[in-house]
Amino acid sequence: MNAPPLSKTSPVTGSALLTNAVGLHARPSVKLTQLAKTFSSVISVATDAAGPWIDAKSPVKIMRVKASKGTTIYFEASGDDATLAIAALIDLVERRFDESDGDDHG
Amino acid sequence: MDVALKKALIEDCAKVIAEHADELTSLDRAIGDGDHGLNMKRGFESLLPDAGSLASRPLPDMLKAIGTQLVMKVGGASGPLYGTLFLSLAKEISGSPNSENARTAFASAIEAVKARGKSEVGQKTMLDVLAPVLAAWDHRAGIASHLSETARQAAEATIPMKAIRGRASFLGDRSIGHMDPGARSSSLLIATIAKHFGA
Amino acid sequence: MANVGIVIVSHSEKVAEGAADMVRQMVGDAVPLAYTGGNSEGGLGTDVARIMDAIDRAWSEAGVAVLVDLGGAETNTEMAIEMIDETKQQRIVICNAPIVEGAVIAATEASGGSPLDIVKQTAEELSPQ
Repeated sequence: MNAPPLSKTSPVTGSALLTNAVGLHARPSVKLTQLAKTFSSVISVATDAAGPWIDAKSPVKIMRVKASKGTTIYFEASGDDATLAIAALIDLVERRFDESDGDDHG
Repeated sequence: MDVALKKALIEDCAKVIAEHADELTSLDRAIGDGDHGLNMKRGFESLLPDAGSLASRPLPDMLKAIGTQLVMKVGGASGPLYGTLFLSLAKEISGSPNSENARTAFASAIEAVKARGKSEVGQKTMLDVLAPVLAAWDHRAGIASHLSETARQAAEATIPMKAIRGRASFLGDRSIGHMDPGARSSSLLIATIAKHFGA
Repeated sequence: MANVGIVIVSHSEKVAEGAADMVRQMVGDAVPLAYTGGNSEGGLGTDVARIMDAIDRAWSEAGVAVLVDLGGAETNTEMAIEMIDETKQQRIVICNAPIVEGAVIAATEASGGSPLDIVKQTAEELSPQ
């Protein structure tokens, strides 16, 4: 790609507040890992800035996070498309995972 | 192997299963889902229209075709197990087997059934008939008459056993006291086949 | 390369259909998906011919991952795989994972273009080691 070369030692970070009704449950987890997988960067997720960090491309591990509404999700990415990845993931959370809120427990 | 003999084997196996379908079903009703007799009858009778053309094929080809047909037509849990038995026999047996070749093929077929069902001897299954028959097989004397009797007694011996494989295992101790339907159908088939080889 | 296909094999057609619905709704249409449940008489059970047909419908050059429920489903799926064209057999795997969760997770992994061994491995992370 034409992105400027990034130092591998300085990962891109970002965070977003979970505002969808069910938080990071099954269906949002699937969407998050699907999106993460579209980037070549190594991407991690945490519910605390200090970690523990979880592989954003692992649907099993992400589903086990079970973060509820009001939790801040932290992202960290390293690689050629890290900036793009963080922006896209934050956007997904802020779009409430495109879920129609309500009593959806998905 | 003689075409007429092969045809007679197919027809007699289908016949003995059909004659005992009600018995197999009532055994299965006691410890399974009650479809063994019907399934076996449907599967073996589906061989009859093609018995002539099946018998005209070399023995390994015939056994392979029978195995495939039983998988598809018997269905349930027994279809794949009987299918595996025949498909595995087909792999090892020669076109005109002597007793030793037949015994070797039978031994590897039993291993294939064990692998398919993830089961062992002593778990109240068809293996509890097949394994004693193999053990009683003295290839120097050909398929002797005592194989029928061995099979019959082995099927009876499943009555006090407790099932730990298949649907019967859900019953636990309540599976004790009933003959295993798969063991019974195996003993019927073995007796029928043995009859054609000097029994 | 096409995405890995997912096949769901349950004793119950309703369970198989429901699990397939969850995969479609949660993961989307990016993976080939087929299900089968019940025996040829419409009762509880599994049927080798139907399993072969489901694998065929979900076939992908990248392979097919099969999720099964109780014992007979696995036995019959193994039998079905052995009866399928030998050139395809190496590209069909049974995942040792719970059927519903395994199907969703395997499909999620597959939708990202992961190869068959990774799809299987991810689904099996669900099972206690």
